[in-house]
This record gives sequence, structure tokens and C-alpha cells, in this order.
Amino acid sequence: MALNLAIGFVVNQLGLPLYLDTVGTVIASALAGPVAGAITGIVSQTVRSLYEGFIWFPFAAVQVLIALLAGFAALRGGFRSVPRSLAWGLVVGALAGALSAVISWFVFKGVTATGVTAVTILLTRLGLTTPQALTASSLGTDLLDKTIVFLLAGAVLRALPERVLGRYPWARRALAR
Amino acid sequence: MTPRAGLAARAHPFTLFVVVAGAAALAFIVPAPAGPLALYALTAVLALITGNAGAVARAALVCLPLWVLLALLHGVGGSFDPRSLTVSREGLAAAAAQGARLGAVATASLVLFAAFDPSRFLDAVAERGWSFHAAYLVVATLQAAPRFRRRAAAILEAQRARGLRTGRGVAGRVRALVPLTAPLVLGMLTEADDRAMALDMRGLGARVARTPLAPLPHRAGDRIARWAIGALVVAGIAWRLLA
Repeated sequence: MALNLAIGFVVNQLGLPLYLDTVGTVIASALAGPVAGAITGIVSQTVRSLYEGFIWFPFAAVQVLIALLAGFAALRGGFRSVPRSLAWGLVVGALAGALSAVISWFVFKGVTATGVTAVTILLTRLGLTTPQALTASSLGTDLLDKTIVFLLAGAVLRALPERVLGRYPWARRALAR
Repeated sequence: MTPRAGLAARAHPFTLFVVVAGAAALAFIVPAPAGPLALYALTAVLALITGNAGAVARAALVCLPLWVLLALLHGVGGSFDPRSLTVSREGLAAAAAQGARLGAVATASLVLFAAFDPSRFLDAVAERGWSFHAAYLVVATLQAAPRFRRRAAAILEAQRARGLRTGRGVAGRVRALVPLTAPLVLGMLTEADDRAMALDMRGLGARVARTPLAPLPHRAGDRIARWAIGALVVAGIAWRLLA
């Protein structure tokens, strides 16, 4: 759970235009299953919301969706290689982006993180309606973000020592070992 | 986390959560734009009265970029040509209403955060017989977050000292994430194991009723506040359905 928050710090320090706030959720799902991943996502979103004023709490639903999909990816050996992580990242990014857009529209009237909303505004100036622009910007950013999350989680899981992986049966399936 | 003095800090932990939930519900129930604006003003005034000026300022800082983006998204139309820009009163009113909703929720929840005392919260959960595991997870994460942030900073410095370059374009910085994240994950898994064993030895997994270390007083003010907020939310829903 704290990994989701600590990665946010690393991303800020590196000055990357990404969230990467679901790395801990994906790694927990790949190591201990989707229920552990969902609990990780909900708790880390709750704690982050406490720090930042609870306005982002509705996005806990996205964390749960990602945990379930990461668990499914783990069952299918989705972290075995870079191409597999990439493919699963794209699938999860598309679905997470769609859910983010729905939450952003119904709860936040179109605003979400600053960078995404800036893209939404640019797209409305190009002639798209606000829901269309929001969907396009959410999908675009989540495709990129979740693909990097899955690539990063896969690389970290493959780098973990065998003695650590041995304690987590889901990790063996995730890496198809 | 050091709990501060003041009315919010003395309140029962559940009362603060009810206030936040009530503010969030009312923000979407009361008619826009006047309702959310009045609710935000009321929340800010109550926070100031209870000695939480810092939470009001922090909430405004959190919401400021969102207010600007809401105004641009809903209130300003047209293309990239500055001469084509139009301002919509209805759009600005919708943006103000949404901005006030976010402001009210952020202010109420940052007052909660400022007054949140983990040990009092755990005692309240134990007293009520609710899931101690879930409450412990939230509190342990809250307390571990600053420590892991310091650990992340130490790993970043150590890897830079070993020659890791973190400033060569976006692709280079993304590549630098793996040598920074892997030791962080490994350290966390080790600590999680140690902590799990220590908690198991202390009987965290025991399925018995827990006794709170310092039982919290059930003040009449807390009960009145919780029931009043609940009644307000129910009345608001009924009014919107019937009006």
C-alpha cells in the first residue's frame, strides 16, 4: 500500500508526467492475488485521499478494476516477458481509461488530474464535445500510464530473488515458472 | 502524525467521518449553484471556528487548479483563436457549483486529517467491534507512508551515487524506475514479513472481541452532531425528490 505512495514520490523526483500510482496494486495482485491487490488499491487510495482532501476517493474503483485485471493477467502468465506485460498493460489501460472517464464525467464534471484536464480542454477547442474530449484524454493517458505500470511491475517481479518469489504462489504463475 | 488540540481533535473519530460523508452527500444533494456555494462557505466557517484555518487554506490550494480548469472547461468556449473565445454564464455557474462541491469535501476531509489520531481511531473501532484488520491497515499505511518516502529518497540518492542517470529525457527517466523500484519492493516485502510475524505473535489474527486501551467518552455533542447530519442528508434527499 505504501508502495503506491512511495512510487508517487519517486515519479515526482524524476519529474515524470505520469501517475504510476497503481504499481503497488499490480505487484500485490501478481504476488498474492486480486483480493490482496484490491485491498492494496482501496487502502492506498483512502490514505492518499486523507492527505489530499478525499476528492480523489471515487477513483478507488479504478484501483479495484486494475487489481482484478492484474490478478487475471497473473493467472495467464502476463508478467513472464516484456511483450506480455506490454499487451496486458494496453488492455488494462484501455479499460481503466474508460472507467476513469465515466467517474470524471459523473463525479467531477470533466476535471481530473491537471495534465489530463489540460488535454481535455485542448480537444474541446479542436471541436470535440466535453464527454468525447474527456474519453480521448483519459484513454490516452491511461494507456500510456498503465502500460508503463505493467512493464515496471513485470521488470520488478522478474528481478525479485527466487527465495522471495517462492513464498508467493501467484508470482510463479505470473512469471510462468 | 501529531493530533492537534481543538474541537475537531476532541470529537469522537466517527463524528469526523460522518461530517465528511455528510458534506460529500449534501454537496451533491443541495440545488446548484447556490447550494454548493453556501455549503462550502459553511464548511470553511465551521473549520475556521474550530481552529482549522490551515485545513481551509490547504483545501483551497488543492482545489485551486481544479477551479481554474473547471472554469476553462465549462465557462470558456471557442477555438484557439482568441477572438473566437466566448464566456458562458451557465457554464461558469456549473463550474462554480462543481468547484464549491470539491471545496466543501476537501475542507471537511482535511479538517478530519488534521484532527485524526490513529490510536483513538483504533480504540473506537475496537469498542464498536468493527473490523480491526481493516482499520489497522489504514492506520499502518498512514504511519508507514512518510517512512517509505524517506526510504525512496535514500534509494534514489544511493543509486545516483552508483552512477544511475535520472535526467536524460523521459525515456531515460522511465528506465531509471526499475533500479529504483526493485529495492523498494524488496525492502517492503521483507518489512511486511517481519511485521506480519510480530502482529501474529501479538494476536492480531485472533477472532475475539477486543478491549480498547483507552475507551472514548460518548459525549452528547457527538451523538447530536451525527444524528443532525444524518437527518439533514435524509431531509435533503426527500426535499429534492418531492420538490
